[in-house]
Amino acid sequence: MTKLKLSGVSKAYGATLALRRGDLELDTGEVHVLIGANGSGKSTLCKIVAGSVRPDAGDVLLDGRAVTVSGPRAAQALGIGIFYQELSLADHRSVAENICLPDLPKQSGFFIDRAALREKAERYIALFEAVAGAELRADTNVGDLRADQRQLVEIMKALATEAPVLIFDEPTSALDRAQVDRFFEILRDLRNDGRSIVFISHRMDEIFAIGDRVTVIRDGETIDTMAIAETTPEAVIHMMVGEQEELAAPQQAAPPAQAASTDAALTVENLTGAGFRDVSFTVRRGEILGLGGLHGQGQSALLKALFGAPPPSAGEARIARERLRTDSPRSAIAQGVAYVSGDRSRDGVITGRPILENVTPIHALRNRLVLARPGQLAEKALPALKALNTKFAGLSHSIGSLSGGNQQKIVIARWLIDKPDILLLDDPTKGIDLSAKTDLFALIRRLAEEGLAIVLYSSEDAELLNNADRILVFNGGAVSRELSGAERTRYNLYQAAYEAA
Amino acid sequence: MNRLIDIAKNPLTIALVLIAALLFLGNTLSPGFASGGQILRLLIVAALLGIVAAGQNLVILGGREGIDLSVGGVVSLSAIVAGNVMNGMDGGIPLAILACVATGALFGLFNGLGVTLLRIPPLVMTLGMLGVLQGLLVVIRQGIPSGRAAPALSEFVTRPFLLGLPGIIWLWIGVGLLMAFILHRTVFGQRIYAIGSNEQAAFMAGVPVRRTRIALFMLSGVFAAIAGLCLLGYSGSSFANVGEQYMLPSIIAVVFGGTPLSGGKGGYTGTMAGAVLLVVLQSILTTINIDESGRQMVFGATLLVLMLFYGRGRGLRA
Repeated sequence: MTKLKLSGVSKAYGATLALRRGDLELDTGEVHVLIGANGSGKSTLCKIVAGSVRPDAGDVLLDGRAVTVSGPRAAQALGIGIFYQELSLADHRSVAENICLPDLPKQSGFFIDRAALREKAERYIALFEAVAGAELRADTNVGDLRADQRQLVEIMKALATEAPVLIFDEPTSALDRAQVDRFFEILRDLRNDGRSIVFISHRMDEIFAIGDRVTVIRDGETIDTMAIAETTPEAVIHMMVGEQEELAAPQQAAPPAQAASTDAALTVENLTGAGFRDVSFTVRRGEILGLGGLHGQGQSALLKALFGAPPPSAGEARIARERLRTDSPRSAIAQGVAYVSGDRSRDGVITGRPILENVTPIHALRNRLVLARPGQLAEKALPALKALNTKFAGLSHSIGSLSGGNQQKIVIARWLIDKPDILLLDDPTKGIDLSAKTDLFALIRRLAEEGLAIVLYSSEDAELLNNADRILVFNGGAVSRELSGAERTRYNLYQAAYEAA
Repeated sequence: MNRLIDIAKNPLTIALVLIAALLFLGNTLSPGFASGGQILRLLIVAALLGIVAAGQNLVILGGREGIDLSVGGVVSLSAIVAGNVMNGMDGGIPLAILACVATGALFGLFNGLGVTLLRIPPLVMTLGMLGVLQGLLVVIRQGIPSGRAAPALSEFVTRPFLLGLPGIIWLWIGVGLLMAFILHRTVFGQRIYAIGSNEQAAFMAGVPVRRTRIALFMLSGVFAAIAGLCLLGYSGSSFANVGEQYMLPSIIAVVFGGTPLSGGKGGYTGTMAGAVLLVVLQSILTTINIDESGRQMVFGATLLVLMLFYGRGRGLRA
């Protein structure tokens, strides 16, 4: 019996179509897995069900009746509970209060019923008693818990809504094996009680362990729904990849063995830090090394660590033959390392200051300049800006007057006055227009030909496949596979990204 | 037309117009208020405030809620140190200058270290430092005499020196040129704006954020100490809380001059106009017989009103 049905749901943010045609049929008493690559639209689909996003078109049917989920409270009233991927816990409140937050037990309609609150929370804590650890008690402050315990509290909070429809958006990312097993037992019990559960995960093994059916979304469209028992991980990945396989073959990338010289520019050995562990690789001069995989698997954290922001906790990086000091961006810059962040408004743009001042800080640092002579600096800045086809009215104009793509070009141009040896690109094209992307990748290839060693992380798989000579696929903070030459296909990339960490 | 509106909206223009209006008002209330000699006297007082405000300006520009509440204490301490070192003799002036600069730099260093290494908010750190300084001043006053200014120092502050202007006005003009040079023609100046407008981006571009911020607090201490030295020359002898009156006005002058408390933009030219404006305002309040407590209330209210106009470009705590 169909509990919840979405048909032809679409959502656009400005000119970007996040969801083209979303269909989903959720039966009573099933665990329904939703899977799709980065940016395929599954999060948007979930948000529509949860009421935090309103669809532009399409129908939402609950128990056969058309409903409008106008907001999170409406979703709650309709019996839809959601586990949010971004933890939504109040740090300074107790576990019990957090669990019961969506529906606090009240006394005489106003005061919180402490006894009922505690009793309700303890019911859910008891479910995970064996695996949660002793600190997780009703009166513990959430802020004092470990990451996995916080995630368990978040799960308990979703369960405590006792909604007939439950949505779990990547609920297991911080949990250990035993905790996942216990969670799955609970999910199976709920399913057997007739609840409907939507489960989003990137781990193939989990999907096949818990799911009854799976729906694949690709590029904002629902591709198909299948019974888990009748499919295989390979078939699911093929559906996620689609027919783009041939398109993905790198065109301009020259075979690394010939294009790149043999001397290593950057060698990383067993580097460990917050978010990644035991990463080793070598980049040669003239090579573009891609970092791939799902969002937040340690790629960004690794690049930042190599730049000293913050430094890694263990392991070693060598630049040419010398040990790379990674105590701060300042020392990394002095040794010829450059870093471009995709989050330009946080890490890149010096807000409200002239374009010239945004281009020259690295030049000033590397040449230990004391005086800032605008004329002299402009002479240095203009060629760098020109190399990227940057459009601007004058060097003294505020950087805020430019479009996002041109702002990012300004930020990149600051590394081009005095060329670095290593260029770390951390999702550099996030939120910039297509022509800026084209200019950027043309420049990156040119820089590689000039002998720079480039490490590129991109959240867009096509960018990696088209531009990287080799790709390291990250999964759970470690490199799960290296793809080079003809192995660089979308299928291999997805398979390595989605297999069990 | 747009250009005209821009000029009309410029804090410097506003301050200059207000100064003229206040002078006119003062002259109406009390004829002779805007006479040459009187204006010169006002400028001397404004120079003292302006020099303190230069340091305050730098600290505020550096962002992250940068503010120096200890300037008044440093001014007082510096005046006492100078008075005791020179003790009425011209020969002691060089040593007194050295001692004052060292005193200011030392307390600025403490402030800077507290703010950067111990991560104490500037408001709390410098307020605590002010408390320490006030306690220190009480102890000092009990132990040693307050000291006297050397004649040459008094002359420097009060007697015409060049083109009819006393040395301290020229010193202030020098400070103005120095500030403009630092802020617009040095890498250090660019770094001040960079950490003030986006500290994270500045850090990622290799700006030594902590060192720069410590330097700002030290400069603030040094400027306050120089003002303390000049204040000794102005009043002849020092007394314990002579500098207390500088804390609030130095902040108001900066905000009036177009530097928001959130930092990252603005400059010193506006602050200079702000300092003159405040001194004229203070003088008018005195003319119409409003006492010190009344003046304090007016200044406090002025800062709050200013925050409405200038302070809301960006949330201070955002």
